[in-house]
Amino acid sequence: MSLKMRRTIIAWALMGPVAVVILFPFAVMLITALKPADEVLEPHWWPRNPQWSNFVAMWKATNFGPALINSLLVSGISTLLAVAVSVPAAYALARMPFRGKGAFRQFLLISQMLSPIVLVLGLFQLVVTLGLLDSKLSIILVYAAFAIAFATWLLQSYFTTIPRDLEEAAWIEGASRATAIRTVFLPLALPAVAVTCIFTFVQAWNEFVLALTLLRSQESYTLPIQIFSLVAGRYTIEWNYVMAAALVATVPVAIVFAVMQRHLVRGLASGAVK
Amino acid sequence: MSEGTAPNAAPVPTGAVPRRRHRQGRAVPYLLILPAFLLAALIILWPLATITNISLHDVNRFGQLRGFSGMANFSELWRDPDFIATLWRTLIWTVGVVGGTLILSVPIALVLNRDFHGRALARVIIMLPWSVSVTMTAVVWRWALNGESGMLNSALRAGGVTDTNIVWLASAATAFPIQIGIGILVSIPFTVTVFLAGLSSVPEDIYEAASLEGASDWQQLRTITLPMLRPFITLAVVLNVIYVFNSFPIIWVLTQGGPANTTDILVTYLYKLAFRFGQMGQAAGVSIIMFAILMAFTLLYVRLVAKNEAQS
Repeated sequence: MSLKMRRTIIAWALMGPVAVVILFPFAVMLITALKPADEVLEPHWWPRNPQWSNFVAMWKATNFGPALINSLLVSGISTLLAVAVSVPAAYALARMPFRGKGAFRQFLLISQMLSPIVLVLGLFQLVVTLGLLDSKLSIILVYAAFAIAFATWLLQSYFTTIPRDLEEAAWIEGASRATAIRTVFLPLALPAVAVTCIFTFVQAWNEFVLALTLLRSQESYTLPIQIFSLVAGRYTIEWNYVMAAALVATVPVAIVFAVMQRHLVRGLASGAVK
Repeated sequence: MSEGTAPNAAPVPTGAVPRRRHRQGRAVPYLLILPAFLLAALIILWPLATITNISLHDVNRFGQLRGFSGMANFSELWRDPDFIATLWRTLIWTVGVVGGTLILSVPIALVLNRDFHGRALARVIIMLPWSVSVTMTAVVWRWALNGESGMLNSALRAGGVTDTNIVWLASAATAFPIQIGIGILVSIPFTVTVFLAGLSSVPEDIYEAASLEGASDWQQLRTITLPMLRPFITLAVVLNVIYVFNSFPIIWVLTQGGPANTTDILVTYLYKLAFRFGQMGQAAGVSIIMFAILMAFTLLYVRLVAKNEAQS
């Protein structure tokens, strides 16, 4: 038996149990989503009579469409906002000496350390003061603000790896600083910006506690809150619809992660090593 | 984070540039960080100030201040047995999840770092929980753990492990360990990623040299791999502690801290105080205590890093 074969057997013997526990919830989602209503509460594993139409029925029963649009809007706009303010800040940190740089870094560290939940009471009052309770704008602003520290850190550690000489060469050619940034720096920085966008988007897509606190009516619910509301404090829970909704909300992100996995890991690793 | 280029970094070749532009140039970095700073300050510093203020006042349930009360909110918390129990439980939760994550993630990263058949698939499976919102994971587990028709009981009965249904979430004795287990499961992907990054920084030829000298695999692991991995383990511990300490959805979705507050951790207790019981003053107190704990922990980390850097 070759060395690699032996290693394969040992590796899968160790990985097997972990893989089973990780895949178990996915199996539960899929199997329950396919059960017809009268089989959901029966304790057998496989649906005797798989109902693919559950996915269609779920769409209306769980109010999935509006929640999906809310989630896309909130995650998309907050990502754009966070990246738009983080790219210049990261550029300044990576390229320019200035007084107060250390203080700004510390400020970012503290804002990274404080999670929204620690501040939830103050955030609630802020949003009430601004008159934004139950408005999607409230969580867009808050998500963007809490994403700044991570985005700036990831971007600036990538920016420092882009050779300075290229921009300097452009200045010597007579380009202004802004032109040099636009034509030389930004195209090189694009992969880092893309990785940052994905992390920020997924973070917002999955956020729970702020949406739970700041969104009050079903019209403004994002997906996690919408699905939670189908489960919390109800006497009859249509688990097959809930699982179908959870599956549909999960699979797109899971595919993006699986496809992008290597890029994401490398992007994060290059930041972590710094 | 490297600042290696900062000292000699005159960003503009000064000789060639007129003076006025140079002076303008000085404001540029501040203009660049200003939008990020303003947005983060509004959303983070303002609420922090509000919470500090509330915690020192007597407040009604709508958050209106009714007079300065000094430390009364804090001493109220101190006399509350639920709060003290929650404080301890938060310690168990954080240590349990972070410790369990480390114990599983180190071997997983070591295995994934070597080549074997199906490694790409194994990587995707290990990373999978990362792509799923923790809320969804918790909703799915809540159903899987359902006492009468949950699929965990069905699977265990089919496997012959038990012949009666276990009502997992009805008491803290079973619910809390399961919540810790789910916490571990969702923390593994990030932690493994950090360790893989660390392992990729270990040069191959060290191992070759060690094998030539006759070092066994186990010796290589103990004397080369683990010491090289140490800064990455520190980083993973710190980030995980902050994250797990603040983690809300697993406990909220599965038990809402119940039955009778026996699975509460600080974040869920804080949420209940603020939005269920209307005890705004005490809720603000819990926030401040959490802030102090996180601050102390972060300072410890910063000092640890400074010490490590001084050594190397």
